[in-house]
Amino acid sequence: MPTIVTRIPASATLVMMLADARLPVGGHVHSAGLEPALAAGMPANRVFDYLLGRAHSVSLVEAGTAVVARHVALPATADSVAAGLAAVESAWAARTPSRALREVSRSLGRGYLRLGTRLWPGHPGIDACSAAPSPLSRPVVLGAIAAAANLDAESLVRLVIYDDAQTVAAALLKLAPIDPAIPAGWVLRACGEVDHLVAAIAALTSPDAIPASGAPQTEEWAESHSLTTQRLFRA
Amino acid sequence: MPESNSTRSLRLGIAGPVGTGKSSLIATICRALSDELRLGVITNDIYTDEDARFLRSAGVLDPERIRAVETGACPHTAIRDDITVNLLAVEDLERDFALLDVVLIESGGDNLTATFSPALVDAQIFVLDVAGGGDVARKGGPGIARADLLVVNKTDLAPYVGVDVPTMVADARAARDGGEVLALSRTDAASVAELRAWVLRLLAAHRSGFHVPQDPGPMAPHFHADDDGGALHAHADGDHEHSHPGADRTHAH
Ligand SMILES: Nc1nc2c(ncn2[C@@H]2O[C@H](COP(=O)(O)OP(=O)(O)OP(=O)(O)O)[C@@H](O)[C@H]2O)c(=O)[nH]1
Ligand SMILES: [Mg+2]
Repeated sequence: MPTIVTRIPASATLVMMLADARLPVGGHVHSAGLEPALAAGMPANRVFDYLLGRAHSVSLVEAGTAVVARHVALPATADSVAAGLAAVESAWAARTPSRALREVSRSLGRGYLRLGTRLWPGHPGIDACSAAPSPLSRPVVLGAIAAAANLDAESLVRLVIYDDAQTVAAALLKLAPIDPAIPAGWVLRACGEVDHLVAAIAALTSPDAIPASGAPQTEEWAESHSLTTQRLFRA
Repeated sequence: MPESNSTRSLRLGIAGPVGTGKSSLIATICRALSDELRLGVITNDIYTDEDARFLRSAGVLDPERIRAVETGACPHTAIRDDITVNLLAVEDLERDFALLDVVLIESGGDNLTATFSPALVDAQIFVLDVAGGGDVARKGGPGIARADLLVVNKTDLAPYVGVDVPTMVADARAARDGGEVLALSRTDAASVAELRAWVLRLLAAHRSGFHVPQDPGPMAPHFHADDDGGALHAHADGDHEHSHPGADRTHAH
């Protein structure tokens, strides 16, 4: 049995752990849309633009969703949290038209929840995720974990943006390898480019306010990827 | 907790290099035991869902009871370091078809060092075949040395590939310190009966609480000579170095 977390570690520690590729949530089967993009013909020399594009679009949807889920899961009882998280989940789903992407995110959410139930059992946010009638998306579960773990909202936003960029960078080294120092630099640049948006997103509290800055082309790529069999990453 | 003891099956991992006959062995076990046991199968695919499709089309089990897990570019990670997706798949299967007696989990075909975490499987079979060469068993590795059962598969091919099965089996037993080795061919009914009996013995031992999951380890345990006479130890991870004073005492991993 894993140790239940009682004394609260600093946000900086939590965010390092949650951003670490070694986090046991099954993240290694994902490429943040990079494999679908390359398979659809996006040139490998455009990956930095792809990273920037995601940081300004889908990452903000994900980060906003996680922040509002965290807000909803913070002080309340399991019942009110359940209704709140369901509303956040619908807001996220409305901003994620690709069914394939929604499924992938929800299966990843199950991986996060498996960890969450073991490390923060009994927290209303975690309990509400476990009791949801169907699996919740990764940003919603991550928001509940942030509430349970006492991770501050700005760190959560940066975590989501960084994790997405780093997932692309790591997948690139498998799909179209280059000097690994290069994508590492891209990750920092992409995060830097949107850092001025972090405070505003961290302040969101209502599902309606979650950014609706989707990227339709990646949705389409994800749909066709879900129908292929010769793939290395799920999405 | 999703894991309740009432629906917990015996989880049996099947590992081994690419093409040695893991899927076929699962089909053989299903054929031999699906009348008397409630079975489920999880395949770990690297690039396709070919294994799951092969098993479904073999008609040895209700296709719904055969599920494929995608392992990304890291088949060994999915069975050892981050077993999350496999655990979720096993728990789903155990819930959807409660009660299952045995869930067979096929690893993606990998190299000789890939073994299952004991947190994912209760026991594991490591599969070699004669076509890979008679020397492989002697080369050892964690799966060969310490899986619960080592299968030397496709013995029917031995005459065509110039392998002497009794020698290969003897080498394997030596590499395993006498641990169990089974020479198998799907065309040899006696060997299939032995495999069937082994699974039933394991299940009985598991149910009676006698069987304790073992980690074959990522490396072979090995001897370090030192001034106190040395100590046998196993390594907790596969990629580290350590120094040994004295040139005659160094070894490489
Ligand atoms: N002659 C002979 N061939 C066998 C036997 N068992 C399996 N094969 C053949 O060996 C090949 C590989 O078998 P699989 O069961 O797909 O092997 P695998 O280990 O699951 O392969 P991967 O999942 O790709 O690593 C197939 O062509 C099988 O028909 C056997 O007992 N005798
Ligand atoms: Mg196979």
